[in-house]
Amino acid sequence: MTTDDSRQASDLGPEMARIEKELERFPGAVLEKYRVARAELDSRLRPQDLLDWGNHALAIAGKAVRSWEASAEYLEASPAVQRQLPSGQFIRWAAIGGRLCDDSPSLAVSFFKASPDALTRLRPRYVDDWANLGRALYRGTWKSSNLACHFYEVSPQLLESLTFAEFTRFGESLQVLSRRSYDLADECLVKAARLFPRLGEERDAFITVSRDLAEHSWREVKGLYDAASTSLTALEPVHRSRMLSIARRLIAAEQVNIGEFFAGASNAVNHVPAEFRQRLLELAEEPLAASPASVNLLITQAPAILDRLSPSQFEEWHREGMRAIDESPESGPAYYRLESARARESLDHLSSGVELNRVKEILRTYCRALSNRDIEVNATQQIVDKKIGWVNEQSATTEGTTIYLPPVADRFSHKDENFGWYKVIATHQSCHIEFGSFDFDFDAPSTMFQDLRPEMHPAAKPKTDLAATVAELVTDAIPGITETDPSPNASPNASPNASEEEGGIELAYLTDMGRFFDLFSDRTLGLDIFTVVEDTRLDSRILYEYKGLAASYRQTQAASLSERPRIEDLPMREAMVEFIVRLSLRQTGNLKVPKGYTDTAQQIRRIVNMLSEISATVEDSAEAATRIYAMIADVPNNTIPEEDFEDVNLDDEIPDEEEENTEEILQMFGGEGESAGEEPADSSQQDEQEFTDEEAYDSPEDVDYRGEFKPEMAQLLSQLSMDAADFDGEPEPITQEQLEELLKNSAELEQADMEEGEEGQQQQMDEMLQNLMKEMQQRDPDNQRFGDGPLVHVPEEGGPLEATEPNSFVYDEWDFRANDYKPRWCIVHEKEMAEGESQFYEDTLAENAALVHEIHRQFELVMPEMYRKVKRLEDGEEFDLDAVIESVIDRRTGNTPSEKVFWRRNKVERDVAVAFLLDMSASTAEAIDENKRPTDDWGAPDDPVEYMVWLRSRRAEGLRRSYKRIVDIEKEGIILLTSALEQTGDTYGIYGFSGYGRENVEFYVIKEMDERWGPAIPRRIDRIAPLHATRMGPAIRHATSKLIKVDAKSRILFMISDGRPQDRGYSREGVEKEYAVHDTRVAFEEARKEGVTPFCLTVDKNGHDYLKTMMHDMNYEVLSDISMLPTRLPQLYRQLTNA
Amino acid sequence: MTTTEYREYRVEEYSVKEEPFYAPLSDEIEIFTAAYKQKIPVLLKGPTGVGKTRFIEYMAWRLSQPLNVVKSKNKKPGPSASGNGMIPLVTVACHEDLTASDLIGRYLLDANGTRWVDGPLTRAVKAGGICYLDEIVEARKDTTVIIHPLTDHRRLLTIDKLGQVIEAADGFLMVISYNPGYQNALKDLKHSTRQRFVALEFTFPPPEIETEIIMHEADVEREIAEQLAKLGDKIRNLRDYGLAEAASTRVLIYAALLMKQGVAPRRACQVAVTWGITDDEQMQRSIDEVVTTIFA
Repeated sequence: MTTDDSRQASDLGPEMARIEKELERFPGAVLEKYRVARAELDSRLRPQDLLDWGNHALAIAGKAVRSWEASAEYLEASPAVQRQLPSGQFIRWAAIGGRLCDDSPSLAVSFFKASPDALTRLRPRYVDDWANLGRALYRGTWKSSNLACHFYEVSPQLLESLTFAEFTRFGESLQVLSRRSYDLADECLVKAARLFPRLGEERDAFITVSRDLAEHSWREVKGLYDAASTSLTALEPVHRSRMLSIARRLIAAEQVNIGEFFAGASNAVNHVPAEFRQRLLELAEEPLAASPASVNLLITQAPAILDRLSPSQFEEWHREGMRAIDESPESGPAYYRLESARARESLDHLSSGVELNRVKEILRTYCRALSNRDIEVNATQQIVDKKIGWVNEQSATTEGTTIYLPPVADRFSHKDENFGWYKVIATHQSCHIEFGSFDFDFDAPSTMFQDLRPEMHPAAKPKTDLAATVAELVTDAIPGITETDPSPNASPNASPNASEEEGGIELAYLTDMGRFFDLFSDRTLGLDIFTVVEDTRLDSRILYEYKGLAASYRQTQAASLSERPRIEDLPMREAMVEFIVRLSLRQTGNLKVPKGYTDTAQQIRRIVNMLSEISATVEDSAEAATRIYAMIADVPNNTIPEEDFEDVNLDDEIPDEEEENTEEILQMFGGEGESAGEEPADSSQQDEQEFTDEEAYDSPEDVDYRGEFKPEMAQLLSQLSMDAADFDGEPEPITQEQLEELLKNSAELEQADMEEGEEGQQQQMDEMLQNLMKEMQQRDPDNQRFGDGPLVHVPEEGGPLEATEPNSFVYDEWDFRANDYKPRWCIVHEKEMAEGESQFYEDTLAENAALVHEIHRQFELVMPEMYRKVKRLEDGEEFDLDAVIESVIDRRTGNTPSEKVFWRRNKVERDVAVAFLLDMSASTAEAIDENKRPTDDWGAPDDPVEYMVWLRSRRAEGLRRSYKRIVDIEKEGIILLTSALEQTGDTYGIYGFSGYGRENVEFYVIKEMDERWGPAIPRRIDRIAPLHATRMGPAIRHATSKLIKVDAKSRILFMISDGRPQDRGYSREGVEKEYAVHDTRVAFEEARKEGVTPFCLTVDKNGHDYLKTMMHDMNYEVLSDISMLPTRLPQLYRQLTNA
Repeated sequence: MTTTEYREYRVEEYSVKEEPFYAPLSDEIEIFTAAYKQKIPVLLKGPTGVGKTRFIEYMAWRLSQPLNVVKSKNKKPGPSASGNGMIPLVTVACHEDLTASDLIGRYLLDANGTRWVDGPLTRAVKAGGICYLDEIVEARKDTTVIIHPLTDHRRLLTIDKLGQVIEAADGFLMVISYNPGYQNALKDLKHSTRQRFVALEFTFPPPEIETEIIMHEADVEREIAEQLAKLGDKIRNLRDYGLAEAASTRVLIYAALLMKQGVAPRRACQVAVTWGITDDEQMQRSIDEVVTTIFA
């Protein structure tokens, strides 16, 4: 410090004193801070700078009412800031702050507050820019000031991870955003502060994207930040940058939902194999130009597709997609969404896996042929979803009527092999049905064993925790149910006498299988043994009966065998069970059992071998299971060293059947053997001794091709449906108690997640019970209804549908944008129309008596036209002069004359089949005399809930109606026509259609094609009423399928409608009208290809515009006056059928 | 043999001389015999290829055998037309253009003018043979006019063009066949016609009997015959599920014959059975799967 400086400083004394004096005007904090700062700065600033500094403090404090706060912050920050800025810059900093304070003191407060931290990361020359960035966010409003302040506050944090250039651009992007919404910008600011440090090198790219997005579609920016912080950060940096560049181009292409794109795509990228990720993103760039909407879909679908295709096949599949886009860019999204037939076919062609959906029909017919039962084939998912005890989605299974198979077979590298696998597992399941696994009858004799079952007594039932849970739950959850039979809570080792109390109460068994399993004190072991034994029986039977399948069946067995766990690794009892499993899989050598059990093993072998006989029945399996159970139930379940296993010599002669010690077996089952009193006591002692190192028994692993076998559940379910189907004889209904009892005991029930803890279990068991009751109701054929029931909503996105209910049919739908079918897109539910009163029918005929007479007369005129002269017959009414002359000439000239010289009036058989298809859409409820409203005003809300409300109010209107509606005219027309049709003898059917959404196309049968006219039909006509929407395509397809089943020379599809086709989601991307019209057109064309003549009669005056497209070059007529319909309909019909 | 030999018969002189193979399913032989003796016309119902025609051949042969002849001689002279005690069998396959005159006869033009020629039915009536009208519903409606008087107590054949009425000879019996599932509803047999016949219903034989039939007809190993019978059985299970016409015993025999000639079993079944019974691709595929499950 120079003397000059100090002199100057002292010169400044009065000035400084003035400043201090003036600062006293403000709250004490200011002065206080001034003094603290000055003490530090005195020695560091040149006197002039110090003076300037002080003056700034004074100026800031004096600018506005509350600007003293800014001044205080200024003073507080000064020492720290001064340390980082050269003195010129320091004063400049103060000046900048002062300017900010001019605009808003709070802005300045934040600026000063953030300065010390910010300046550690900011070059001095950028201070100005920084201040301006914040300043630019402020637009005089409270919200904007908040944002700007906030911006200063987080600046230090941001600057930590951003370069100043990036920081600037981020600030600019905030500006863009803030013009739209301060709140949004503020939220993004918060998120950004947290996000940038985690983004790494891609910050810059990200900022660019967010800025672009802010310009194009600002509402999405927040979503972008959200998605980026959760998913983008999860990606590897190299993929991140690629993704961002794709995003940028998507934004440029006006694609929406970038946030969703990030979330979905990042997730997807992380789910494809690591080595393919980069390539996938490269591929994703290809459709960017032509079909940007496809990009997201391509990436998000990739994991699912790659489950079925190898990466190179995936590229192949993608090439096909690009070709589709080349041909028509609009078809891209449908292709990548797998909603176009082309995509599916290509996928199917490329993959070696076989999808169940593709072969379902074949397998179903195949299984039906084998078993001669009405078997359905479905994906395992469906039975798992029912939550009635099945959990494994990969195991084939059946509950007696439906065979459930895994959705995809993809074990082998060739399609044929994969299909072969399906065939093997389907055969096994269908043979459970064919060879009577579920027909087990407790009282039926076996064919090769002494029947011990009748002499056995149910084991005392151990209550598992699970069972106890259910019991409680059922009583709690379902009011009105009292536990009638408090279950004996005996221990597994209870003496047979414990079952006495059951002797008193006659136990009603729901199923024979349940009664059988009740014999086992360890139900799980009992079930396991029975399963293996029964599967052995089936396998032998299959190999005998189906020799063509034998080769692949044996291969499958061998493959399963190679996947079995080593016997030596298992505890002893489990080892014995595994021994049987391996035996059943035809292992021929090197079979080990624990030492000392080889004799037992040989005995088991003998029994298992007996079941290989063709004549063996399920009852034999049961008897065999009891015997094997008796042999191994007492084997302690200890793990023993490998040396303690020894080989079973399979070359040994199978031991001859010894005199069976039935008593011994019976003892195991609480039979009344002589020594029954003592033995169990012994064994329980033994148990106690060995209990120390015994392990809990675990069921053997499933044999994959055999799937899951649940005979008790199958019998229960078939019982349920039989009860439901049985009308006379009043079967005893299954009670909740019985069901509860079964659930308590069955070893077959599995739960999805055992780890969920007790509460979870309780819930699941409760759910299972409820589901079973539901299933029971569903199987009641009386219970099947739809229409008024709740409408299931299936989103328009999503894949093909399955027709699971009876009388429902799946149809493709035409997507004109993709120029391709959407496979299995709509479900048509067919239902017979309910019957109303025949009053309407009679009234109509009476009111229109004159017209009826006229129509009848016209139709009578049609009749003579049916007689035509048939010439050149061998026999007939008269000579056909021309032919006679020809014939004579032939004879004279020495040629063979024709003998066909007669003619006859021959009745040309009128052979017409017509299907009338009535539009029962809501719009037909409109009054005919006040057709001011355009008929295509489908004002229904899209939301299902709102829709139901809307519908109800609309129906209520209908009740008060005194005017004629369009639908009434339709009905009248049909009535008049049918009365005449009966006269001609033409085959005809009357159908109505409506629906709501693609999964609920309702198809009402008023008169089936082959149904005779009867009193029921007028009553059904009465119930034709406006319902929901008009999805014409599926209805036309369904009617066509009915028509082509009729053998007739001419088939006509006659549709009567009141407007254009429309339905919720009968559209995509806002092209509702066109989409529906095109699908309808294609449906009509399909009909025509099948030899059906379509005709459309509409009462929509504006019909010409879309009918031209819809009917293409097919016939249609627009009725200008709706009341003409009853007259015109028969005329048209005559014209059509005489053509 | 180098020379082509063929035998020519007049329609009414043809009779079944060798015993045809026929495995009875139930009491149809007894019923038919009883009906024949009581001159009650017989209607054979059943799907195609089930053995209706074979049954008639067998019955024509069987009823001609001495035992029966002796029996009938005890009462009255038996059928005599062909002089050898054999009952003639006149078979007419009906088609949609078959008119009454195709059955009765007609005038033919020849060099000297016209000449009346008896139709097959007239001949059978005169000769006292069995007249078997196969797939009767296919024929034109006017045939019923002549069938009715022949099938009730009158047993008369009216030939209006000749102005004649012919009483049927003793051995004459009208037998018609009809396949209820095959024709459409429009072509159903009239009730007035149906009720003039006793009806014998033919179903596919159970696998054991069908095995015997196939073994006999195609002269194949029992195993092949058994597998074919099983295949037939399985395919017939599909009748309720979209298969219009089930595999007949005849196609199974064809498949067996092909196998006997060395055609691979799967292929033989495909050409003789699968492709024969349906054109529906999906169904063909399913049936092929059944074939490959049964045949190696």
